[in-house]
Amino acid sequence: MAELLRLEQATIRFGGLTAVNAVDFAVNEGELCGLIGPNGAGKTTVFNLITGVYAPTSGRISFGGRDLRGLGVDDIVALGIARTFQNIRLFGSLSVIDNVRAACNLHRTTAPGHALLRLGAFRRDEAAIAARANELLEIFNLGRFRDAPARSLPYGEQRRLEIVRCLATRPRLLLLDEPAAGMNPTEKVELIRLIQQVRRQFNLSILLVEHSMRVVMGCCERIAVLDYGVKIAEGTPDQIRADPKVIEAYLGEDHGSSLAHH
Amino acid sequence: MPRPHVALLLSLVAAYGFSNFPGGLDPYLLDVLTGIGINIILAVSLNLVNGYTGQFSLGHAGFMSVGAYLSSAVSLFVAPKLVGELSAAGPVTQGAVFLAALVTGGFCAALAGLLVGVPSLRLRGDYLALVTLGFGEIIRVIFQNIEVLGGALGLNAIPASTSLVWVLAVAAVTVFVVHCLVESTYGRGFLATRDDEIAAAAVGLNPTRYKIVAFVVAAFFAGVAGGLYAHFKLTITPTGFDFTRSIEIVVMVILGGMGNAVGVILAAVLLTVLPEVLRPIAEYRMILYSLLLVLLMLLRPQGLFQFPARRPRG
Repeated sequence: MAELLRLEQATIRFGGLTAVNAVDFAVNEGELCGLIGPNGAGKTTVFNLITGVYAPTSGRISFGGRDLRGLGVDDIVALGIARTFQNIRLFGSLSVIDNVRAACNLHRTTAPGHALLRLGAFRRDEAAIAARANELLEIFNLGRFRDAPARSLPYGEQRRLEIVRCLATRPRLLLLDEPAAGMNPTEKVELIRLIQQVRRQFNLSILLVEHSMRVVMGCCERIAVLDYGVKIAEGTPDQIRADPKVIEAYLGEDHGSSLAHH
Repeated sequence: MPRPHVALLLSLVAAYGFSNFPGGLDPYLLDVLTGIGINIILAVSLNLVNGYTGQFSLGHAGFMSVGAYLSSAVSLFVAPKLVGELSAAGPVTQGAVFLAALVTGGFCAALAGLLVGVPSLRLRGDYLALVTLGFGEIIRVIFQNIEVLGGALGLNAIPASTSLVWVLAVAAVTVFVVHCLVESTYGRGFLATRDDEIAAAAVGLNPTRYKIVAFVVAAFFAGVAGGLYAHFKLTITPTGFDFTRSIEIVVMVILGGMGNAVGVILAAVLLTVLPEVLRPIAEYRMILYSLLLVLLMLLRPQGLFQFPARRPRG
């Protein structure tokens, strides 16, 4: 398996706080990985480092062999990394289809000026984008909400729409930040199915930050555990479950017992 | 032909027909209609920034003044050297000179927009409002101190090139450009930037670039509106483009319902006509005008012409 994303000694300090400390981690082509850890362990910060929201204080992050240093958030998306947010961030006032269309901008074939001329090339481009957006919505069962403002959607559908919007950028790596937050057990089972469907159908790698052990253990092939910004373990779900350091990090919390149950 | 182009063509023809009204229009009515047209250009272009892109610019009058001064300078100082006495030239030459003056004014305003926008559009909300407010004041002081442009006295004897058909035609073009920009996949980026900049960047859009484009396009049309205004009033002073003028345009955008094209046009018409209608009550006019604004904001904060969004199907 070819390596897609690589973090080498990735570190970021905010003043005196080292939020992520010398983390080494890699995601391979087509792999489904999990990133777990107690609250405040630095999981979302790792996402922010990968997506260019923060620049690492030291260390190196590369994607497909290319160093991401100095690239803007939008440049990194163009390279093929898309993400969702812990607290869903949709374009609330835009319709569901326009949320997806806005994300199709990376793959427009005509320049902005064509919007004024509206020649054949522009109309073909717009039609292709609309068709693609509609197709994505249908695949994820959101077609019936097509023209509704995104903010009017039920919570679960908003989560799904955020993933669909990511897919419209044609990513090679999808970063999901706590997709199971606020979901009940049935919805979580559905989510696991959805994540696996996305990986299969769109042929991409997924890195998942998640608190729900049911979801992480249920679908990840490899898991890394962060605690206080340091990677304390990495391995298959079975190895992670048995790792004494992981159990210790979670001890005293409910997560400790939920970890043992799976 | 695409629908927006048909609409543009029809409105240009209508503008031509309207301004050549048989028997001519009453001069007072002509005055009001020209004012409406100029305000439509200003409000619709500002709507791209304050409405669709969700920024808060208070500098529109500043950009208008750049266009007014620079286009007047072209008509007064540059054109006579190129084509001789303007009043002796044929109508085509006059038209071409005026067009060149307007476009020059527009481009200079757009350049000013770029200069103000690039450093300040990284800021959000209130900060941008302050920076643009400051810009408006700075530009006023600059014009006050440029002797060639008349200093505090301003410029006068500007050729009366603005006619109703020019104003209505430019208004139609402004509406067309803003509509076409926004109603496209590219243009979804303006709305996405307004709704959530972080999410916009996360789908590969560059929010800062979108804000700058909106700002520059809006400044261009404000500059052209300034040119039309100058060649209509025939005399301009720096104080004519102060902060209250910017506020007036912002009010039109808010009243029309931010990002609602038809609403903003209607608001521009309403707010131009309202002071005229209130003229008979003389000194109480501005009090009533302000009172009406307060009431409208209290009763329809979403904008006078904004209606509830469509319900989701299914």
